[in-house]
Amino acid sequence: MTTTQENRWIGVSAPRREDAPLIRGRGRYIADIEPAGTVHMAILRSPYAHARINGIDTAAAEALDGVHCVLTAADLEGIGDFPTIWRLPGQKECTTPAFAPGKARYVGEPVAAVVADSRYLAEDALDLLDVDYEILDHVVDVEAALADGAPVINEDMGDNTIIEYTFPGINALGVAGDIDGAFEEADEIVSGRFKVGRYSGVALETRGHVAEWDDLRQTLTLHSGSQVASLLRTELAAALGIPETSVRILTPNIGGAFGNQWDRYPEDILVSLASMKLCRPVKWIEDRREALQATVHGREQLQEWQLAANSDGTVLGLKGRVLSDQGAHLHSVGIGPAWVTGAAAVNQYKIANYHCDVVGVATNKTPNSTFRGFGGPEAMFGIERMMDKTARRLGIDPAELRRRNMIQADEFPYFSPGGAVYDSGNYPAALEKALEAVEYDKVREEQQSLRDQGVYRGIGIASYIHVSGFGPSAILGILDYYTGGYEGSTVKIDPHGRATLYTGMIPMGQGTETTLAQVAADHLEIDIANVRVVWGDTDQTPYTGFGSAGSRSNVAAVAVIKAIEEIKAKAVRIGAGLLEADPDDVAYADGRISVKGAEEMRSLSLADVAQQAYWAHKLPEGDQPTLEATYVYDPANFTTACGTHVAVVDVDIDTGKIDWVKYVVVDDAGTIINPLLVEGQIHGALSNGLGGAMLEEFVYDEESGQLLSSTLMDYLVPSFTDLPDFEIHHLVTPSPHTEGGFKGMGEAGCFPAAGALANAVTDALSHLGVEADQTPVTPSRLWSLIDQAGG
Amino acid sequence: MAENMSVVINVNGAGREVSVEPRKTLADAIREDLGLTGTHLGCEHGVCGACTILLDGEVVRSCLMLAVQADGAEITTIEGIADGDALHPMQSAFSEYHGLQCGFCTPGMILAGIDVVSRNPDPSPQEIREEMGGNICRCTGYQKIVESVQAAAAVMSAEGGSA
Ligand code: FES
Ligand code: FES
Repeated sequence: MTTTQENRWIGVSAPRREDAPLIRGRGRYIADIEPAGTVHMAILRSPYAHARINGIDTAAAEALDGVHCVLTAADLEGIGDFPTIWRLPGQKECTTPAFAPGKARYVGEPVAAVVADSRYLAEDALDLLDVDYEILDHVVDVEAALADGAPVINEDMGDNTIIEYTFPGINALGVAGDIDGAFEEADEIVSGRFKVGRYSGVALETRGHVAEWDDLRQTLTLHSGSQVASLLRTELAAALGIPETSVRILTPNIGGAFGNQWDRYPEDILVSLASMKLCRPVKWIEDRREALQATVHGREQLQEWQLAANSDGTVLGLKGRVLSDQGAHLHSVGIGPAWVTGAAAVNQYKIANYHCDVVGVATNKTPNSTFRGFGGPEAMFGIERMMDKTARRLGIDPAELRRRNMIQADEFPYFSPGGAVYDSGNYPAALEKALEAVEYDKVREEQQSLRDQGVYRGIGIASYIHVSGFGPSAILGILDYYTGGYEGSTVKIDPHGRATLYTGMIPMGQGTETTLAQVAADHLEIDIANVRVVWGDTDQTPYTGFGSAGSRSNVAAVAVIKAIEEIKAKAVRIGAGLLEADPDDVAYADGRISVKGAEEMRSLSLADVAQQAYWAHKLPEGDQPTLEATYVYDPANFTTACGTHVAVVDVDIDTGKIDWVKYVVVDDAGTIINPLLVEGQIHGALSNGLGGAMLEEFVYDEESGQLLSSTLMDYLVPSFTDLPDFEIHHLVTPSPHTEGGFKGMGEAGCFPAAGALANAVTDALSHLGVEADQTPVTPSRLWSLIDQAGG
Repeated sequence: MAENMSVVINVNGAGREVSVEPRKTLADAIREDLGLTGTHLGCEHGVCGACTILLDGEVVRSCLMLAVQADGAEITTIEGIADGDALHPMQSAFSEYHGLQCGFCTPGMILAGIDVVSRNPDPSPQEIREEMGGNICRCTGYQKIVESVQAAAAVMSAEGGSA
């Protein structure tokens, strides 16, 4: 790169351009959008976990003054379902319909919708709908769902097993391990059974849409908080049976998404359909109860692992079975998260022999789908608990056991038996740095004396990898993931030399607008104030294969860099003509186009060249007028962010309450674009991770199949007083696979959190033999474990 | 349906009159009838604090009140705390210390922060955490909000403690 002032912005905590309206209360979120003539939709949801719908009497609701229409399954003729886009081999077919298909399969599944003058009125009308339900037996436990005679949730599947998928322990080079041999040879076999609780993003803003059908132009404008406007546009047009060219998705500010907004939902279709029917704007804003019942849940898995080790601590093999509680039907990404769990479970360790069966199971619960972390945190919880159990069994310090098994810095690329290729990192260095920061030896020493005083202090280590930058499209193809992994970027230089950057990424709070402006400013070598970022309009922005995720800005950033390279090359060609020099003698530097060696004398500003590019009076042969470029970047490989977290806690053995002493993070996310924003992302992801580790849980009543945690009084999200101050340190191992060395990191903080917390709690209670193998480790759950252990 | 009622509220220093259904929440009236959409709704059952406003100088959750109950009251919303173009120190601090990500909780957080500092001009991080415990943020993990409120408190007391 011919740069004179490289990295003026990359690596700098540039202030967020997103903030100005948000701190003034002038953000524009979906609920703030209300075109003239808007009417409001409310949705009737199944109050039963499993019930056949024999009929719906809509007459009374329709007769209510101010009601414009009632929609039921009878109105869905010609309307398609949303597909499951991750279709692994052997996976039974499963889609997401707009309304419960003849029977409701979970509490909260949409059954009917009413559109009225106001939301208040629409909700009045819901009360007037008379649904004839025939209640069926339900099942909300994953093992019960697999038992003989369990109620079958999707009859066309025959039973509740949606897919059984095996990771045979063959790496990307085709090298297979010998799992049976490893278990025969091992000195010790350690087993663990883990329940990873069901929880989710629970963004503070609920979902919502405003649909505007223009009957004269036959166009649909959907204002939506989706993270993947491109995919939504494609799939929505197909479901509605209208040309995709007729659909425009506009994205306003989003009040948190956390992966949940990656999926396509029934309401996307319903609000559009209502608008097409009524030829006027229709608005739907989810209420909190709906958000907890009907926005996808995440995580829930039952894992069984066995680990084979020698007495010196060498881990020889790992085998396991992961039951993924998918809820009533597959949602957009199918069993994707559980697949990732299987692919990532060997984590940072050289475990040559591996085998894992992943089973996707249907239950009468809300679909389990995309949520920040996407299977990774579940994997890290299992393996990191297993490492601690093994350490204890072998009488080796848990830090030392990790040290002895970690992949070393000179062993990359590393071909894991889970099938992934790890690009880079320095795992031992991150571990040592974390131990040093937490003063490991000192805390260990103090632990004993504190215990004598009745203070039960525990230290929990958890290391992690986060395979991100999902992913090379060809690999998604091999995985039967029916989307691309690319990001597009268009950069236009205006005649005055200022840049507008168009991205398919959607800022959801992580500061994408600012970070992409930083990348563009650095690579164009112009002031950041002269870069505008346009997002959130499918009529203007490039198609994105994968859509926004916390860990995608690295891919989008490369698309920006590549588009800018084309612009700079063109500027040099045009500039060379104007400077009457050979293009080989001309270079782009410092936002100027100059003859090498004569920068003082023979030099043009970007604006000079841009102006000429627009006048187009004297363009080099073959160059088109104007100065713009589009680049669609398909990543060459995944990137792996990594690190180690250490939690130190005190457990009150009388109440099961956990008090924070310290939480140390060492992360390696490659080159960092904006340190302040990265810190914010780590904090946020940690709060998601620790929330699910300690508090957050969707609890279902076995008896009734009801979701018990359907208000924020029952579903506990972490508050100010539940979370510690985090101490963050960085290592920087730039990714060798991406231009700029960026790795995705927006999700990484939630990966090791549950493992670190559970290991700390288990360590604190080691004298009692209490093992925190189920999340969330709530005070009451912990108290009963302590009680059972006689503590 | 009950007849609409007329409600007079002093909003951010200006008298306003709206005609609302008796069952309409104050939050909905602020957003829909007064057109001030900076007051957000995260739960509508009093848990999250996104709808926080100041009513006669006290912090309240506007989703838990009916608009008719605010008849004759003075309310301050997020739109009313800057002095023209000059941001309130709490607003500046949130931006400077990265106390917001998606921004959805932010109006409520800023108002709650102002309230904390008005009662305790030099709050410790622990006091801020305890005092603001009724406001939920899903994005930040809170640490940077605590830093923002502390920084704003310092500026506010230097400016003479005016909120
Ligand atoms: S919306 Fe009022 S407290 Fe949540
Ligand atoms: S910044 Fe998103 S909820 Fe607080």
